[in-house]
Amino acid sequence: MNLWLFPGQPLQFVQSVPVDREFEALAVLCRKHCGYDLVKQQPVSGACLSHHTCLQIYGVAMSLYCSRQLYNVGCNPGLIAEHSLGIYAALVAAKSISEQVALELVCRHGSCMFRMASQKEYALGCPIGLRVEAVEAAARNNGAFVANYNTSRHFLISGEKVAVEAALAECQSAGAFSVSSYPCEAPLHTPLMAEVEPELAAIVQEYRFTEPLVPLVESIHQTRLTASAMPAFLVQELLQPVYWERTWLKLRNSGFVRCTEVGSGKALSKFNRWIDAEHE
Amino acid sequence: MIVSDEMIVQVKQMILSALRIEDMTPDEIDTDAPLFGEGLGLDSIDALQLVVAMEKEFGVVVPDAAIGTTVFASVRAMAAYITENRK
Repeated sequence: MNLWLFPGQPLQFVQSVPVDREFEALAVLCRKHCGYDLVKQQPVSGACLSHHTCLQIYGVAMSLYCSRQLYNVGCNPGLIAEHSLGIYAALVAAKSISEQVALELVCRHGSCMFRMASQKEYALGCPIGLRVEAVEAAARNNGAFVANYNTSRHFLISGEKVAVEAALAECQSAGAFSVSSYPCEAPLHTPLMAEVEPELAAIVQEYRFTEPLVPLVESIHQTRLTASAMPAFLVQELLQPVYWERTWLKLRNSGFVRCTEVGSGKALSKFNRWIDAEHE
Repeated sequence: MIVSDEMIVQVKQMILSALRIEDMTPDEIDTDAPLFGEGLGLDSIDALQLVVAMEKEFGVVVPDAAIGTTVFASVRAMAAYITENRK
């Protein structure tokens, strides 16, 4: 049984893009349904897309491209899991939505979240090396939130930029091996996203979701998503943390033979390597 | 600091083992190439895994990323740090 893992948003674009029929087909979908040029990695003329929305569309498109490549060599998933932004391409692999809908959803959600950036500055912070208690305390003490529980020593903190930077400084003082921060257009995976919750939900309600043909394990409660749960999940996953360590620990016992990270980068594989090393 | 060839090989084996790199042999790792960015293309997640491995195998501590930047500059730099700080 093949397990497909769909990663979250990449931090950056790759320098060169694939040149083949599958990529071109996805580029056509991106241009038509998002106003995004996947080849040039920029909005098409006249389209108004923020940097992060472009990065989100790109991330989903790359996961869709990797999926197509796997199907083409006869590899089909028997189980699917997602991390954050990975949900959109994961839903496609589960046959619950089409590629077009996934790209439209990520584009529209991204544009909706971008509106938050006009009022406040947000950031994501990455402390590495501390245990969960110290990271949670640093976030709590400074008005930020733990957004990703990736491994026992790798987390993401999210919130207003000033709060995230203060939390990271506290993490550094507490002995973190490294801390780094990244600008973000919205406080992803925090309760602060409630500000745009009605808009996000209204977008999702315009689409129809079908029962997954391949089981899809979500990364909040580690349950298998049903079609009726998908609309709410697509909104709630932006307000709640990603619990990747719990998710991987559950998946480890699922009996898969081959595990593939389906998207840009190798972050999930590295998290899994860490978790595996701790649980062997 | 002069480091032994044996230590260089040990470090390369530790890297392959800790990072579960199965498609390379120690000989294929350039002793003097940068480990991060270019070279092996490691990142901060890999760095922490190497910190743990170094402590476990050699009893050597890399306290923070600032020192890690120097230590993980290359295999030779790692070997030199281990040789100098080994208990």
